[in-house]
Parts: sequence; C-alpha cells; structure tokens
Amino acid sequence: MYPFTYHRPSSLDDAKARLAASEDGRLLAGGMSLLPTMRFRLASCADLVDLNGIEALAGIERGDGHVRVGAMTRHAAVAGSAEVREAIPALAALAGSIGDVQVRNRGTIGGSICFADPAADYPAGLLGLDATINTDRRAIGADDFFTGLYETALEEGEIAVSVEFAIPERAGWAKFGNQASRFAVVAVMVSQAAGGAVRLAVTGARTHVFRVTEMEQALAANFSEEALDGIPVSSEGLNEDLHADRDYRAHLIGVMARRAVRDALAR
Amino acid sequence: MSDRGHIPESRQREKPRADLQWIGKSMKRVEDPRLLVGKGIYADDINVPEMAHAAVLRSPHAHARIVSIDASKAEALPGVLCVMTGADAAEVCDPLPTWASPPVLQAVIAHDRVRHVGEAVVAVAAEDRYIAEDACDLIEVEYEPLPPVVDPEEALTSTGDAVLHPERGDTNIGLERTLTFGPVEEDFAAADLVIERRFRWPRSGGQPLETVGAVASFDEGAGRFTIQCNTSMYNYCGWMIASTLRVAPHKLNIVPTLAGGSFGSKMFVHKVPVMAAVLARAVGRPVKFMEDRIDNTTSCDNHASDRVYYAKLALKQDGTLLSLKTRIIDDYGAYLQFGVGQHGNALSQCVGPYRINSVEVDLAAVLTNKCQQGAYRGFGSEVANFVIERLVDAAADELGVDRIALRRQNFIQPDQFPYLIPTGNMYDSGNYQAVLEETLKLADVEGWRAKQAEGRKEGRYIGIGVASCQERSVFSATEFWMWNLEPGVEWTSSPDGVSVKIDPTGKAFVTLHSPFWGNSPETVAAQVLAEQLTIDPSDIEITYSDTDQGLNSTGPGGSRFTVMVTGAIVGAAGKIREKLLRIAAHLMEADVRDLTLEDGAVQVKGVPDMKMSIAELADKAHYYRLSMPEDLDLTSGLDATYVYDHPVTTLPDPDERHMGIFYPIMGHSCHIPVVEVDIETGQVHFLHYAAVHDCGTMVNPMTLEGHIRGGTVNGIGTALFEEFSYDEAGQLTTALWTDYLIPTIKESPADIVVGHVETPSPFTEYGVKGGGEGGRMGGPPAIAAAIEDALKPLGVTIDSLPLPPSKLRALIREAQARSA
Ligand SMILES: Cc1cc2nc3c(=O)[nH]c(=O)nc-3n(C[C@H](O)[C@H](O)[C@H](O)COP(=O)(O)OP(=O)(O)OC[C@H]3O[C@@H](n4cnc5c(N)ncnc54)[C@H](O)[C@@H]3O)c2cc1C
Repeated sequence: MYPFTYHRPSSLDDAKARLAASEDGRLLAGGMSLLPTMRFRLASCADLVDLNGIEALAGIERGDGHVRVGAMTRHAAVAGSAEVREAIPALAALAGSIGDVQVRNRGTIGGSICFADPAADYPAGLLGLDATINTDRRAIGADDFFTGLYETALEEGEIAVSVEFAIPERAGWAKFGNQASRFAVVAVMVSQAAGGAVRLAVTGARTHVFRVTEMEQALAANFSEEALDGIPVSSEGLNEDLHADRDYRAHLIGVMARRAVRDALAR
Repeated sequence: MSDRGHIPESRQREKPRADLQWIGKSMKRVEDPRLLVGKGIYADDINVPEMAHAAVLRSPHAHARIVSIDASKAEALPGVLCVMTGADAAEVCDPLPTWASPPVLQAVIAHDRVRHVGEAVVAVAAEDRYIAEDACDLIEVEYEPLPPVVDPEEALTSTGDAVLHPERGDTNIGLERTLTFGPVEEDFAAADLVIERRFRWPRSGGQPLETVGAVASFDEGAGRFTIQCNTSMYNYCGWMIASTLRVAPHKLNIVPTLAGGSFGSKMFVHKVPVMAAVLARAVGRPVKFMEDRIDNTTSCDNHASDRVYYAKLALKQDGTLLSLKTRIIDDYGAYLQFGVGQHGNALSQCVGPYRINSVEVDLAAVLTNKCQQGAYRGFGSEVANFVIERLVDAAADELGVDRIALRRQNFIQPDQFPYLIPTGNMYDSGNYQAVLEETLKLADVEGWRAKQAEGRKEGRYIGIGVASCQERSVFSATEFWMWNLEPGVEWTSSPDGVSVKIDPTGKAFVTLHSPFWGNSPETVAAQVLAEQLTIDPSDIEITYSDTDQGLNSTGPGGSRFTVMVTGAIVGAAGKIREKLLRIAAHLMEADVRDLTLEDGAVQVKGVPDMKMSIAELADKAHYYRLSMPEDLDLTSGLDATYVYDHPVTTLPDPDERHMGIFYPIMGHSCHIPVVEVDIETGQVHFLHYAAVHDCGTMVNPMTLEGHIRGGTVNGIGTALFEEFSYDEAGQLTTALWTDYLIPTIKESPADIVVGHVETPSPFTEYGVKGGGEGGRMGGPPAIAAAIEDALKPLGVTIDSLPLPPSKLRALIREAQARSA
C-alpha cells in the first residue's frame, strides 16, 4: 500500500464534499475489492473516503412493485432479508452465492456494481432483473450502467446511493463459480415480468455483463428449458483464463441458462 | 530373499499393551490453549531493538542472463540501509546447502543468471518494509533472455543456451539412472498381460498460512549469528547454514519459532535465514525477512513432485501381479535441494501393499526453469501410491475382474511380515485385509452400488473408488542419497533427542530439539512421559531448544516425529525411573526388585504404607545429597537426555541389488470416496467418504483423525484443483490463491467417516507408527478411481491430475464425441 489520508464522514453531503476537495479521492465500501488492489499497489489514492459511517446508505425497503436496496447494504443482509426472499428469491440466492461468509459480511451491493468486476454476480442481477441505479445526482438504468471492463456510467465523484429492483413474475439464478473465490465463471439471471417480457443476463463471460436476446425471445414465447434447445452460443469474444477457455464458457452459458430457467420455474 | 537384504533384531523396549493409561487417549492438544488465545510467537511476531526489514526484487524472467543492475536510485532513497546484489552476496557467502552429489549450485541471490521466475535478484534492507519495497521498485535490471525450459520431456534434450547449469555439462538432466531389483526381465517374459499407462502427476505444494520468515542478528564482538526462524532440521544439519555464511558452526545459533504450518515445506529452510543473515551482517543491525505470499509461492521450498510416468505392470491371467517397470521423468525445477530424495522415498512403497516380485525404476530428474522442488506431505511416495493403484485398477478392468477382488488376491498376508519388498525396504507389519474390510463396512459399498445403478437410470453419474495405500513412516537418512551418482553426504543416522528434567517439587520439564510445525509434538511428549512416569500430563511443561542447547535431532517430516519422540521419551524416562527406584530403595531400605512405580509414587510391592511420591523423591534427589549412597555417578537432581536412533535401518547393498531398509514403519490406509460427476459442467461432488488408517498403536486418536481428515482434503486438492502451473514462457500462472485453488469446506465431503485398525509395529516403542501425512497418501488414487467409475458409461480414463471442472468436462466432451 501507498500512504493515504483516511476520512470517515457520517453523511452523504459530507462524503461528497470531501471527495470533491480531494485531488485524488476514492470511496471505500466493504473494501473487499478495493483493499486487495491497494495492497498489491495496483491502486492508490491520496484520500480514502469511507462510506461505512453513513447509516442512510444501508438498508432494504419494499415499495410498490419494487425493492430498494441501499448501496452500503451487505451481501449477507440481502441474502437474509425476508423482504427480498419473498419478493425476489433469486436475488437473495444471488447474494448468498457470493464469496464466503467474511466477504458477504463486508462486501456491499454498491461496491460490487461500481467496481464492475467482469465476474461479479450483482451485475447479472441488476441487468437480469431490470434494476435502476440511483446516484447522488440521477437514476441510471442497468442497461446503461455497465459499460466495460471495470467500467460504469458513473461520472467522476458520482456516488451510487441505492438500487431499485422491479419485482418480476418469476426469476431464476444459476451460477458456476470458481472454486477458490466463488466468483462467477459463468452465471445467469433470468426473469419474466408480469407483462411477459423476459430478461436473461450473463456475467463472467465477457468484459462485462450482457443480455442474450435470442434466448429472451424464445423464453418470452415459451418459458421453459426446452425453449432454449438449439440456440447456439458462440464462443467468439468470450473471456478465456486458467479456469475456463472460450468453448467451455460458451457451453456453460447454455447450461447455466437452462438451470436458471429451471430455478425460476421451481421457485 | 537374500537379494533383498536382511532384517535386524527388534530393539523395542515397550511392548504394545492393552492397559495403557495415557497412550491411546484422545487427549486435547497441549499446544492449543496458548495458540488459541494468540500467545504463540511466530516468526513475524518477533521484533528486536534496531531491527531493519528486508524485501527482495525477484526475477520476472524464467531464464535470463543478468546484464547489469543499476541500484543507485534505490541506494539514494532515505531509509535504505543496504542494497545487495548476487555478486555482493557471493563475496560474503557460499552456495546454499544441498544433498545432491554432484551438487547443483544455488546462491541465496542469483548472480549472472536467473533460472526461474521469482528467483532473488537483489535484496534490500531498510528502516521498514515499505521503504524496502519502494527501493526494489527503483532498481533497474537489464536482462538478456535465454530460452525457457518448461516441459519436462523437452528438458531431456535441451542443449546450448537452454541449459540451466552449463558447468554440469550440456544437458538439463540433473541425474539419470536405472535401478533394477529382482528378475524384472524374467517376470515380464513370464507375464500373460502387461498393463501400460502414461501418468501425469501435477506440481503442487503445501500451502502453510504462515510463510517462511527469519530475524537474524550478527554480534560483531563475538563474531556470531543468531537466527530466529520457522525452520526444522536445525539440530540435525543447521551447521550447514553456518558454512554457507562462512562462520564456524559454533558461531551460529538457530532459534526455532513456532511454525504456522509446514506440510513439509519448512523441512530445511535455507534461503530465507541466509538472506536475513547476510543482510544483518552487512548493515550491522538485526534484519527481519518475512516472505510475502508471492515470495513464498514463486521461490520457496513449497513445490513438490512433478512427474511423468511411463508405467508397466506385468501380471498373470489369473491375476497374480509379477513385476513393475517405470520410466519416470521428474521436473525438479532449477535446483536439487534434497538431491532426488523424493525418489528414495518413492522406492519405499512402490509396490503398494501387494506381492510384486521385481521392480525397475528408470529415473530422469530434469532441471527446468521453475522453482526448485522441496518437501511436501508424501515426499514423492504419494505419487507411487497413485501409480500402483491406477495400474491395479486398470489391470482389474482389463481382466474383467472386480477391482477390490484383485487387491485382496495380491495383498501381502498378515503372516508374511516383516516383509522385504524388491527394493529392499521392509514393511514391518500390517493387516491389509482387515483395513479393507473395515472400510467396506463404513463405506456401505453395497448400498452405494445400488444407488449408482438407480442414478444411472436417471442420468446421474455416481462413482465409487477404492484405494488401498501404504503409508510409510520414519525415514532413514539413506533415502536422501541412495540415488546419488557420486559419494557426497552419506549419513546413516536420523535420530531424535529429548531432555527431561523433574524439578525439586516433582514437576516435569521436557525439551524437544525439533520445532513445532503445526502438528502435536507437545501432546505426544506429554502423553508418553505421563505413561512412563505415571504422572499427570498437566504436570509436564514442554519447551524447544535452539542449536546452542540442541541434541542431534532430525525433526518432523516423513511421518516420523510421533514414533521418534515416543522412543526418545521412553529412553529418557527409563533413566529417570531407574534413579527414582534407586533412591527410593535406599531411603525405604528396600530391594529395588521389590519396588514399582505407580500413580506417581514408588511403592514397595504388597506394602501399601511403604511408598514415596515422585515429588518427595525429587526433593531428596535435589537437596539431600548426604542421605544418598556414595556414588560419583549419582548426581544431585533428576534429569536425563536421550537420543533415540532410527528404530530399524540398514545400508544399501554396495552392488545396489537392494537399497536396504530405510522407511520400514509401514502404516496402511484404505480410502473409499463416493462421488457424483455433473457431466454438463465437469464438477465433482462428494456424496460420501470413508477412510480407515492403520498407524499401529495410536498415541492420540483425535489428533490422528485430524491428520486423516485434513490430509484427505489435502488429497482432494491434489486430485481436483491444485497446481503450480507454468505457462510456455515459464511464468507461474498460479502464484496466488485466487488461481491456485485450495479446497475449502464447500469442496469437501460433508463428513469423512474415519475408522482405525491397529497393527502395532514390532520395532517401535509401544508399536506406534507415523500418520502425519495422513489422507493425502490415499485420497488422490481413490478419487481418480471414483471419477472413472462414475464416468464408466462414457468410457473416460483418468491418468492425469488435477481434474478441475474445465479439464474433466473436456475429457467428457472427448468421450462423448468418440461415442457419437
Ligand atoms: C475472496 C473473495 C471472494 C469474492 N467472491 C465474489 C463472488 O463470488 N461474487 C461476486 O460478485 N463478488 C465476489 N467478491 C467481491 C465482493 O463481492 C466485493 O464485495 C465487491 O466486489 C466490492 O464490494 P465492496 O463493498 O467490498 O467494495 P469496495 O472494495 O470497498 O469498493 C469497490 C469499488 O467501488 C467503489 N465504490 C464503492 N462504493 C461505492 C459507491 N457507493 N458509489 C461509487 N463507488 C463506490 C470504490 O471506490 C471501489 O473503487 C469476492 C471478493 C473476495 C475478496
């Protein structure tokens, strides 16, 4: 690590002010992604503004047709929330599938989506469930939020405040995780809204989360595993690493998509 | 049988008995309370006044010449005390210790040439670690890349620039030779069937939470080093470090710290203590060097066997196993720290629990641009277990007989022990049939066969694997050098010592001369001494000596410590008991022959009132010299030391017809995992796991079960996930635990059902055998067999590990393509 000044504001306004005052400021949420990169000296900053003192940023609220999750809400809180389990059980399953107990007790939904790791689970949750990200200055739809490898639509100094999930008719989650970290090798969130529209989002397979429209259309017509039969998944442009080559990832997308549909139908 | 050598008389003093009070109890570990409240002192907990900190700049290249090093910016950084290159280090120290002969020279800091990614190129000592690391970032090194040698089979033919150690000749073969034991050619000629397979065993390693660390200081006045370090073997060959540092052996004191795990990797740590010491001498202040994770994974003694086997098993149509031939190419990495000791080790049990008449091993130890091999749980013989078990499975399949039945048919029988195998090693005792039967019972194999058949109808792939494996324990030093081509270190002793003292109030103090390694040496010592002196373990205190105080002690490793500490305690306690009896006889005016030691007191047999407690006798022994008999040898106090030699070892035959007895205390285990393979993803789940071990007389069943369960999960790691994987350029792609996959609770069976059979050793005290390498000895072949069984309908064969989902899925896809 390189030296930095640590700040712990207790309000969002204070946090914004401190961030604005710094030449090179950075937000700290659960620290599960940021701190390792700082320890490896891959990231550094002059001022670290810790959001953990801002109570208003954490919490889960069920509203009319949606669930709102505060940016500083821990993965464990989402996994264990009675509201989420009732309204969108697949989202609770997603949160419960992240990392290990320690990571779930520290990591936050805001940190996860703002970091935008290509293998993170929440991006698939947000895109597959048609969520909206509320920031300190605007609302951004999930379709517009994730823009690239570790890249989001957030502007300089913009703070994610909460995520609003529309409650679907049904939704399913399937994840093939890496053995060590549990990060998704491939994971799929599928949902069907009351009107019948289907969203199917894949994480872990490309620079950032994406939807598979062919599968969505087939499922809109017939929400069943069989509807996915014969839909080819190309391996072109897919991520390749030590744990999975392109072909294996492409194959897993098909398998996980079917399992997500199965999961949605079983819930 | 004379071709296989001779069996010496047993020197056992304490026979196994049913009425033992402490040995055999699942007593809680003596070590735990202080470790659990955080009072254990590990290497990184040590801070001494004036201490500086080291960091190391490491090679980014697998193989390169060092053209130039510009450290001027680093030297100018405030807080930097010393920047040391390989050339600087070579002026003040000699090459690191090695058991290889001819040696492969290894320097603490590379000079002229780097031979693997992560090799030390420059070391920095500074006021703190941050400054030391900042300084490393400022050093400019110019390299001239050389061809990286990564594939072990390609290394066989390297020449020219691809040769790592040109001074040893124009080749990367570190050692190559063939050893033949028994009538191999005749047996193959007589065979009806020869099973031939190529196996690949992956490079993996022990992954202790605590990396290697040392705090060294140099006293210019006395010309003397003190090094605190989490190493072992310091009281056996710690003086070799002094030679490297160019001081006389008595000018170095190595002080052990607790080791936060080793699994073998801290057997004889050399690079880290030498690094800290040369820097300490250079800066005139104590220096701490604590490896970070990348220091450890890229450049310590953590990498293990990395082998290709071309194996042939000859047998008769009726299932009788005859002979085993293996061509082994072992990728040793850049240096040969322990020579090819891993292959001495593998010869100890290469025929498994089976009667096999002859053996040929053709070994090529190749040098490649990878971290050198060290010691790791199994030390090479776990690979032999994998090979023989896979061959026996293949033979059964080929003959169309049951895999279990073929094992039963070829087991060495209980009345054949002690048994010399073709390589000369002795199996002291065993009952393989009993272990198998017990495991079959715990595993409910019949029940699972039924579920497997049901499952197949539903498209589920359930498999059951059986491995019956040797678990050799208590190595003798000969294994380190028996393969050497030239005479070098040719030691035949590998003892362990203890010092025992009873203070004037009757409390006992034990000093161990080898370190705490994460295992339970204090618990063992307390249980055995309590048994010997009929005292309570809570009245015993245990400490560890440094090299100044130390007795000749080899230390843990090769599952030897429980046997050796038990033997040493029996020896020392015997002397103390004798003195207690003598003093008591004198004071109570009784005949020694009428006395017994029981319940912590010396008692005149049959006269309940006539007794003296150990505390009373200790008081007399310390303070009442004038009440004692006149005898110069009867000194005041109550203490004894004892160095217990290896219980039974013999020399290799000069003509190499056999290698003598070198690893004879033979445990055994049977593992039966039940797995389910998700054929769509290639993921393996454990449905059940049963393991039965026979480690002779158990000192502490609870801690032994820990070794079995922990070792089994270790074995799951080897079988399914773990690999130090180098790419074509020689980059270690799994240097971090994000990529080097270690099984967690989620990848482990919900329960590992453990059972025991006790076949006492006729050679060790109380009949104890070692069990420290535990489940890793038997897990991998059993898991491979279970996966193969699960995928039988698809026709998948398993001959290489590990099998992470991606690789298993690829095998399934190929099989599906073949049958489509
Ligand atoms: C061992 C391990 C296993 C893991 N396994 C998984 C897994 O299986 N699946 C998975 O999805 N993730 C996994 N993770 C990542 C984990 O979920 C992290 O919690 C998450 O990626 C980051 O969240 P955080 O709260 O820790 O954010 P931090 O690390 O504190 O911050 C991450 C980034 O987001 C920025 N940031 C944080 N909050 C805000 C905000 N409100 N507005 C704007 N920017 C913000 C920070 O400045 C920083 O750049 C794992 C992590 C570890 C260490």
